[in-house]
Amino acid sequence: MEILTNMAQGFSFVLGWQPLLFIVLGVIMGILAGAMPGLSPSMGVALLVPFTYAMSPTLALILLVSIYIAANYGGSITAVTINAPGTPSAVVTSFDGYPLTKQNKPGMGLGVSLVSSTIGGFIGTIILILFSVQLAKIAVKFHPAEYFALAIFGLTTVATLGGRNWVKAFIAAMFGLLINTIGIDPISGVSRFTFGSVHLYDGFSLIPALIGLFALSEVFKQIDEQNFKSKKIELEKTKWPTILDYWKLKLTIIRSSIMGTLIGIFPGAGATIASFIAYDVAKRSSKEPEKFGHGSLEGVAAAEAANSSSVGGALVPLLTLGIPGSASTAVLIGALMIHDLTPGPQLFNNNPEIIYGLFASLLIANLVMLILGLFGSRLWVKVTAVPKKILYPMIFAVSIIGSFAVRYSFFDIAACLGFGVFGWILRRHNYPVAPIVLGIVLGNIAETNFRRAVMMGDYTIFFTRPVSLILLVLALVSFAWPILRNSMSNKKRLQN
Amino acid sequence: MKKTLIILLLTIVFFTSCKKTDEEFSFPKKPITIIVYTGPGGLIDITARKFADVASKYTEATFVIENKPGSGGIVAMKRLLQLPADGYTLFACTKSNVSKIVSSGGEAYIEGIDWTAMMMADPECVITYKKQKINSWKDILADAKVKNGDQIWLGPANGGLDHVTALKIWDETGIKAKWIPYKSGGKARAALLGEQGVAYVGNPREVLGNDDLMIAAVSSAKRLVQFPDVPTFSELGITGLDNEFMWRGFVLKKGTPPDIREWFDELFTNVNNDAEWREYWERGGIDVIYKSSEEFTKIVHKDKEQFTHYLQKIGIINTEATNFMAKIATGKALKFLVILFVIIFLIIGFAVNRSPKRKYLVRIMLPIFFIMLSIIFFIISFSFPDNEKVGPSVVPRLWIFILIPLNIYLMFDIFRQKKEIEHKDENKKIVFGFIGLLILYLISIFYIGYFISTFIFIFAGIYILGYRKYLTMLIISFGWLLFSYLIFYKLLYVPLPVGKLIEMFF
Repeated sequence: MEILTNMAQGFSFVLGWQPLLFIVLGVIMGILAGAMPGLSPSMGVALLVPFTYAMSPTLALILLVSIYIAANYGGSITAVTINAPGTPSAVVTSFDGYPLTKQNKPGMGLGVSLVSSTIGGFIGTIILILFSVQLAKIAVKFHPAEYFALAIFGLTTVATLGGRNWVKAFIAAMFGLLINTIGIDPISGVSRFTFGSVHLYDGFSLIPALIGLFALSEVFKQIDEQNFKSKKIELEKTKWPTILDYWKLKLTIIRSSIMGTLIGIFPGAGATIASFIAYDVAKRSSKEPEKFGHGSLEGVAAAEAANSSSVGGALVPLLTLGIPGSASTAVLIGALMIHDLTPGPQLFNNNPEIIYGLFASLLIANLVMLILGLFGSRLWVKVTAVPKKILYPMIFAVSIIGSFAVRYSFFDIAACLGFGVFGWILRRHNYPVAPIVLGIVLGNIAETNFRRAVMMGDYTIFFTRPVSLILLVLALVSFAWPILRNSMSNKKRLQN
Repeated sequence: MKKTLIILLLTIVFFTSCKKTDEEFSFPKKPITIIVYTGPGGLIDITARKFADVASKYTEATFVIENKPGSGGIVAMKRLLQLPADGYTLFACTKSNVSKIVSSGGEAYIEGIDWTAMMMADPECVITYKKQKINSWKDILADAKVKNGDQIWLGPANGGLDHVTALKIWDETGIKAKWIPYKSGGKARAALLGEQGVAYVGNPREVLGNDDLMIAAVSSAKRLVQFPDVPTFSELGITGLDNEFMWRGFVLKKGTPPDIREWFDELFTNVNNDAEWREYWERGGIDVIYKSSEEFTKIVHKDKEQFTHYLQKIGIINTEATNFMAKIATGKALKFLVILFVIIFLIIGFAVNRSPKRKYLVRIMLPIFFIMLSIIFFIISFSFPDNEKVGPSVVPRLWIFILIPLNIYLMFDIFRQKKEIEHKDENKKIVFGFIGLLILYLISIFYIGYFISTFIFIFAGIYILGYRKYLTMLIISFGWLLFSYLIFYKLLYVPLPVGKLIEMFF
């Protein structure tokens, strides 16, 4: 009951013309930042932080979380329309979203991604409001051994992603993991594989690698296959999902949202792992697993619901403990501090208007995102109708400026280009590139937690802690099963 | 008439120029940039922004904050030292930068920087979790004796100030413990709340906002005003730990003209005495102490010595290559090795191209590339210090040991099964053309700047793909320029390069 009165108060803070205006502005900026390859949610938030220093703390937070939420959805727009995920977590959305566009059904992908994002965002926020204190207690108890096991579990989704090319998929993942070790070792502080270059001290940045592997290599591939010689898409015929389509996805969306929120609460895990795992689970429990990767609506829904709901999860440790769970929430902490507010449990007692105002604005921002997205989708879909001869050079231009904007460095542009060419060569020979991104994202979590766990105990620690043991067994099963099934079906095919 | 006019003009010119030399000191004439070595939102970023805010009370000057993250500040310091010493660039700096300078062997930075003003210091302290049984200093000491080296301390990165402070505490008190580093102080505090260790080293500000955290001991000469119940180390009977602190300050490049230096000294003194400034920081248990150049430089040199001592001790710096493999993996030998590998790779490529398998050239060369990359990384991993239970070479080698067999398997697979979908070499030429164009574009951004090169690139790109409506092409190129100028350059302050050649002429 107390929560209801608090929430009512929260809404009363937010339902003024000024906060609403800020939410709308934030959502628009977030969608644009997310759609722009190179501007990730955390960068979108970070770039706006300086502007918020002059605002009241509540308004500043409202603006920043609106951007944060919308940017997570925005990433899926370019993932669906041009196979250039705007954010790392939208990589998974492109697996099925882009095939839909190729089948001349971009509206289906955009519609499902928007609605699943919104529902995911709602579920994540509601779990945050109801259970944040209890969840925070679980989050801090999560031992390094368990983080490691979670990362390994995330890596085994590669087996599902790879399908018949699982060896190549694993090679790509291992390559991602290996290049992730370039730079200063996060545990001991010594520099590794930097060849004495300052540019490599922090390793390769994720964003330029992501842009190169997806956006650039996709365009190279399209040019290679001569797909730029016009083929007009009849926009009027673009199909949009019906209520019935959404209703069929209800279980997938709810399951993925809950998983996304739970994975989001562990500091450092975040949206990308959440969407990979949710996609994997959705494929396994689907009635039509063969459709995944070829335009399955369930695949789009799982990925988007998971990455949007992880926002609510990531706010759990931030609000209850003052500990950032992701890059974007780290920026939010700074924004609170400049306003002389110390994030942590005392914030609930000292400044309830901020906390409940934040909760209310999260719910409203999701709603605003849905409304703006419904109108916007009619616009985004036009991207697919731009003549390819104009579109492709523009994608290059966007990619270059996007990879430069990460650290203002020429090295990053060159790295983006290098990943683009390499990605194109790999894709020509049936190596999937998504596992490389997964490897880069998971490498650090896997390595640091593996070593922390061993430093705290010894090598047996992974098997003596029950949660880590269960996760590792699950990982083994999920790794072995698709491969076994594949080799069996291969044999069958050969016999026929 | 003409003559008088000329004389008149000359006198005017003379006087105005005289006036100029009289008023020569009119600093600043343009905004002053403060370089911050982290992204927006960190403590040092807030320090810089708060400083800019308070400083505006005392000067007309405008301050622009430029975030230049990377390599723990090395990227930002490099930028400072590249720019002229004209007082228009300040660098917001912390003690961590000194640690980074020491660990990356960049002594030149210490000498090249004019250590202008130290503005504040936060004493280091040992933080514990109240609900855990072991939470006072006495408990920690007793527990350490029982666990004999297995007690766990948590904190941020190895070799940083907090780690070095912990090492010093262990030295002075004679206890043994393990340091488990986390990506950030916040993540380490989360682990403390999860009772994964007994102590955390950080600054007093970090216990604010969370009643479950407490300070067990603080390393300052006197008790902190904001935490009157917290004992100092000397009160606990431990000597040598009454002055460990994290400092933050602002520095210029060495060689800044003396009158500009004076202008800054006055400004820093004013900000230091400002009531709003002091109150904002002191509430968080941070000492607002202004130290001018002379004292600050001494502190920095002392810090440097201490970091050098401890970083050597834990093996981050000056680890001499001892065995044969480590010698191959460093310096010139490594360069030679990499070149050798490239040559071998090319020879294999050439051989395959001449063999009946030439249709499979790239398909065969890809696994070979991965295998050779793994071997190079494997050799380099011998140069890492290996004095820990799980050193820096363990995990890369794990990935390598999985990567190599997978690729060998794939090689066999290629030779075993012959049928795979064949790619037609349709438009490879245009793709190569585009890759060349992109490389040219990158080079030209460097020399003639972002805007001109981008215009040419977009126009040329569309042309190559066979589009010929020139008006549309012009509109699109211009439209993109306008968009990137307004959104990236103006709104988001992304410093799009103007170009070396252009800079030279203007």
